[in-house]
Parts: sequence; structure tokens; C-alpha cells
Amino acid sequence: MDFQFGEKEEKLRSEIREFVKRELPPGYSGGTLEEEHSDEDWEFAMAISKKLAQKGWLTMSWPKEYGGMGASHFEQLVFAEEVGYWGIPGTTMGISGVAWVGPSLMMFGTEEQRKKYMPPIAKGEPDGIWCTGYSEPDAGSDFANIRTRADRQGDEYVINGQKVWTSCAHRARWCWLAVKTDPDAKKKHHGISIVIVDMKSKGITVRPILNYVGFHIFNEVFFDDVRIPAENLVGEENKGWYQLMHSLMYERGSVAIGAYGANKRIMDEIVAYAKETGLIKKPEIRQRLADVAVEIEALKLLAYETIWKMTKGVIPIYEPSRDKAFNDMLLEKLSIVGMEILGAHSQLHPMEKDSRWSALKARVQRMYWMFPGISIAAGTTDTQRNIVGQFGLQLPRSY
Amino acid sequence: MDYSFSEDQNMIRETVSKFLENECPKEKIRELMIDEKGYDPAMWQKMAELGWMGLVIPEEYDGTGMGYLDLMILIEEMGRSILPAPYFSTVALCSIPIIEFGTEEQKKRILPRIASGEDIWTLALTESFGTYEAAEIELSASLEKDEYVLNGTKLYVPYAHVADNLLVVARTGRGDAPEDGITVFIVAANNPGVKTAIMPTAAHDMRCEVVFDNVRIPEGNVLGKRDEGWAVVEHIIQYAAVLKAAEISGGAQAALEISTQYAKERVQFDKPIGTFQAIQHRLVDMLAEVEGLKYLVYEAAWKIDIGSPSRMFISMAKAKANKVYQRVCLDSISIHGAIGFTEEMDITLYHLRIKALEFELGGTDFHRERIARELESYQPDFLILRN
Repeated sequence: MDFQFGEKEEKLRSEIREFVKRELPPGYSGGTLEEEHSDEDWEFAMAISKKLAQKGWLTMSWPKEYGGMGASHFEQLVFAEEVGYWGIPGTTMGISGVAWVGPSLMMFGTEEQRKKYMPPIAKGEPDGIWCTGYSEPDAGSDFANIRTRADRQGDEYVINGQKVWTSCAHRARWCWLAVKTDPDAKKKHHGISIVIVDMKSKGITVRPILNYVGFHIFNEVFFDDVRIPAENLVGEENKGWYQLMHSLMYERGSVAIGAYGANKRIMDEIVAYAKETGLIKKPEIRQRLADVAVEIEALKLLAYETIWKMTKGVIPIYEPSRDKAFNDMLLEKLSIVGMEILGAHSQLHPMEKDSRWSALKARVQRMYWMFPGISIAAGTTDTQRNIVGQFGLQLPRSY
Repeated sequence: MDYSFSEDQNMIRETVSKFLENECPKEKIRELMIDEKGYDPAMWQKMAELGWMGLVIPEEYDGTGMGYLDLMILIEEMGRSILPAPYFSTVALCSIPIIEFGTEEQKKRILPRIASGEDIWTLALTESFGTYEAAEIELSASLEKDEYVLNGTKLYVPYAHVADNLLVVARTGRGDAPEDGITVFIVAANNPGVKTAIMPTAAHDMRCEVVFDNVRIPEGNVLGKRDEGWAVVEHIIQYAAVLKAAEISGGAQAALEISTQYAKERVQFDKPIGTFQAIQHRLVDMLAEVEGLKYLVYEAAWKIDIGSPSRMFISMAKAKANKVYQRVCLDSISIHGAIGFTEEMDITLYHLRIKALEFELGGTDFHRERIARELESYQPDFLILRN
């Protein structure tokens, strides 16, 4: 039993902190998703992507031949944790680029696809920005229910349908798209394929959906007779569901680690604020801060355990879902405690980072207004619970 | 970073778990709840022969000199099977501080008799409020010639009625802080003037009131330094709180397993009730809590094992343990339905112990306050980088 990292990981951690000190403005307060909102933030995020790429960190988990550094699971952990803590922008290449487009192409793609699509991601270029089209109006938690079709016509697929909650579609060069290629398949998850779509294609309409505090992160995407070359199919036709499940298992391990880093930062900021204002002397505030600090430490230990299992060659089945569900509950608790400590100031708008009334660059407000969305994204809390029940506790499938 | 235990440690766990499965089934626990002694001396002797009492006692005092993590594993398994015995009081509450603070003479005299299972020890600390605050220590000890005379009352002293000796936390003076003027004494239980009564607890787990009525003890029966005994108490709170949290964690793991099994077997509406999300999601939330607790305990214990105890992690482990155990027990009973409310179900044995487990070595608020103090003095990374 040993809860310490090795020298290699600690060295990486201090290099990342050097980078943060050099490249981010003092007290920088960014975060994944938020960077997609304004052009100014997006530009800054893209500039950081380039610098991260030069360091080899952007796609550190990828093998060297594809522009990565073949980093270990623990090095990836440290990077994800620091990204969360410092709010380093530009780390995902449209969320999907780094986390699953590259890894899926390595597992299921052709050599041509790898050569074409992976270098722009690894180099942090605008042409390496991806969005992912999974959810549809009638396919949320029940993803296999998608209706968007890709019909083969000669050397092309013709795509018709609609995606929704597509993060980064307004920034992306490519779309990693799940489509129905066999609408008559006996089981609905049998007829699904993954295709690559150029977002500049004729027939694509991206319509912004603003969230309830005005952030533009996700979109509706309409496909109206969009033609793509047949070679843009990833892996095998009608095997998309299995490919997707397989790639998910690899990418989800680090989500809770990043969340831990971000939570730890908010916690540190809240404690510093409570000390500055003297609120920390109030017994009820002390009790609440301590309570949430315990939960943050527990999240860390759960998330580390998941990664540790991966280092042992285990593919974690239920653990990432356990960690996400736990984090979802923690986000709620932490942001509510944070808002209570801000008191009346908690009503200030989350985008007003530098208004003369706002505290902590409105970090706490942003967490509070964003957490319901984060809890839903990438599988709702209750969907995660279904997975843990089925695979972690071996209970009957409940849905 | 390594979440696994060594082969030897896995062996300890397996041995303990097998022994308790055979020697301490739930019927045995029910028998001992109405037994006068509250433990089985024959089983106690077997445990001593297996080396459990002397696990962390150095070899020179007839122990096996193993580590803190080894002991944590053993106690986690005891919690899992709810062993009713004066093990925690003897080993965790008394042998550890004696190893740390005892004089050579005291260690030579006391530790071999603990290791062999001959002597049972307990700690008389909490008083009328039942808390772990120094200000609460009122039991007085005054020096008369070459003897200390003790007067006062201790509550919730585990297994005092069968103990051979007690560590007694007493007040020998007053200073600026309530922690000043505390001294820890070694008192033989057969000393005239020591009167023990079993307190009527829900768990029938042998918590005692111990009245000290002009108890005279030799001047040398002090553990640690006179008036600086709070250092001993603080050491006990830290080292034993994590072991108590391990015991709680073991119990919570068992409760979750029992309830999950029940949800797979119990059929209603033609399906195992674990099929229903109302039940399943509860079990899933319990799983995350139980696993989170398990690692909080391991982390705190590991820090102690490598010689750098963390007050933050210690209190996190105990605060979380207190909350998780209650949550898991209450949800478990609810999942069992009406039968979960009866004497015959094992799950209730776990729940009955909650309050003893929760308040021994500090309730949730007590440990949260300690965490808050650590948070206050902690320098966060973002401020370090800025400077």
C-alpha cells in the first residue's frame, strides 16, 4: 500500500506548474466547456493547445508515432489533475479529439485515417478540433435509439437527421458521428456505425442552444443530404456500438481525476475566502467546509483507485461510473456550500468574473450553474447508477 | 501509488476472516450480548495464541512487532464480523500508547502479559458529556505523600468489568489551556475504590461506568509525563480513531454485502427487488460511500504506518466512517423491509452498534472541527504558486 506518486510523476507536476505560471495570467479562472463560449476565450484556448502540443502533453497518452509521448497512466493522472486544478484551457481539442477520436482511430481506424486526422489533433491545430454527434432528441440515455441515417450510395454515404447537445459543434472542423446504417437491424444497437463528417460539408446546419445563464457550449446539428466519402466510415459498418463501448472504457478513467482537481481548486479558493472574510470562525461554516473536504478526498481516492487498476491491466467496467456518480453528488454539495459562503453575493452573474462586486472571479457561481449540466453530460447520474448496479453489484439490469 | 496489500497482509486478512467465521458466527454474538462477561475467554485465548494481542508489540516484549497497517487489517475484519471482545480496548486503546509512552520498566512488566492474552486493559477517558474534549476531564488525582488519590467518574469505558488494568485520564492541575494539567495513570482494576457498573447500551456491548472513590495508587503509575498527559490522549485519539474507523468500515462493507444479497434473493412483483431502481440506486450509492470510506481509512492508516500521521486524514476517516455506517445501516434495514426490523436478522446487529462506534474516539462534529483547524492552517497550491 502506497499513496505517493513516484519521482517521474512529481517532476511532471512541477513542470506543469511552471507552465501554468508562465502561460496563464495570474489567478486565471477558466475551465473546459466554458472556453467554447466566447471567441476571445476560444482563441486563448487554441493558443494554449499549441503550446501544450509542443510540450508533448496535449496527446500524452498517444504513442510517439502519432504525436504523443506514450505517457503512463499515472502521468496522465497527474496531467488531468493539474488541468482541473489550474483550469488549463485548450486540453481536449473539442472534448472528443484527444479523448476518443485518436484512441478509437488507433483501435479501429485505417492507416490513412490515422495519418489524416491524428496529427492536427496532436499539434493543437484548428483542424484538429472535433465535436461528437451521439445524442438526439429521442436518444439521450437510450443512445441506441438514434435515428440519424447514413445510406450508402456508391462511394458515398448520405446523411440525414438531427443531433442535439453537441458541444463544440460551432468550433469543430470535424464531427465524430454516430449514425444508423441498418435501420432494419433486429436489435437497435446492431445497426449503428461511426463516421467522420467534415463540418464544412454542404447540408449541415449548426444552431446554438444557450444554457440558462447564457453560455453557448452546445448546439443542435442538422444533417440534410450531407454527402461524405465511404472511406470516412470508422471500423466496421454496423459495429459502431461495440467500438463506442470499447473506447468509452479507456477514456472515462480520467474524467473524475480532472473533476477532483477542479473541486480541490474551488475548495481551496472557498477556504481562502472564508479565512479572508472571517467567516471561517463560524462553527456552522467550519462544519460544512470540513464535511465537503472529506467528500473531495474520497473522490480523489476513488478516482486514483480506478487509474491504479488500469495500471494493473484491468479495464475498469463499473468504477468510472461510480466515480462520476460520486462526483455529481459532490459537485452539488460543494457548489451549494460555496454559494452559502458567498451569501447574497452568490446571486451575481457567473460570467461576471471581474465585476467590482464579484468574489473569486465568480468561480463558485459558475460551478453552481454548470453542475446540473455536467451531471447530465456523458451519461446522467442515474444512468451511471444503472451501470454500477449491473456491473459493480451484479444486480439485474434495471432499465 | 499502489492500492494493494502485501502477500503477508492478505494472509493476515484471510486468517482473521476464517477464524472469525468459524469462532464467531452471529449466534455467538447474540449469546454474548446476554452473557455476563460479554466475551468468550476460550476464544480470547485462541486469539492470543494466534498472536493477535501482540501484533504491534515489539518482539523484545514478546510481541510479533508487525506494523500499524497489519493491525488495521485485523480490526477491519473484526468490524466486518462484529467480534464482541475487549480486543480494541486492550490493543488499540492501551497497548499502543504504552508502547509509545511507557518507560522501559512499564513496557517489560505490561506488554508481555498483553501479548500472551493474560491481561485485559481498557481506557477510562470520557466523563459526563461523553466527549473527547480536554475541558471535560474532571476526575481528580491529588498527590498525598507517595500516592495519588483518584476521585471521579468515567463513562462508556469498554469492558471495564472484565479488565485487569485501566489507563485513567485524570486532572492533576490547571493551566492556561484545558489540555494542561492532565495526567494518565495506570490503575489496577482490583484496587479497592474502583467500582464498575455495566451501562445499559442498545448494543449490549459492555460499556461501563467506572467510579473512582479514593483510589490510591503508587506515585510511579503514570504513563508519560505528569501534567502533560494530553499528549498521550492526543496520540490515542489519532492512532485509535483510524482503527475504529477501520472497524466501522469493515462493518459497513458487511452490511452492504448482506443487503445486496438480500436484494438479489427477495422476490416481489415476480422479480428480485434489486431489479427496481429505487432499491438498486440506493445500493449503488452505498457502494460508492463504502468504497470511499475504505480508502480514506487506508490512506490515513498508511500515513501512520510510514511514520507521518496526518491529523487531516485521521479525522476525515473517522468523520466519514461515522456518517457512512449510519447511512448504510438505515438503508439496509429499509431494503430488507419489515424483517429488517426484527431481532433475527443479522443486519440489525450491525445497526445496534452504530452509536458506540460513532462516539468512541470522537463524533462527527468533533472530527469536522479538527479538519477545519487543518484547513485553516493549510497553504493551498494556488497561493504557493502565486508567491
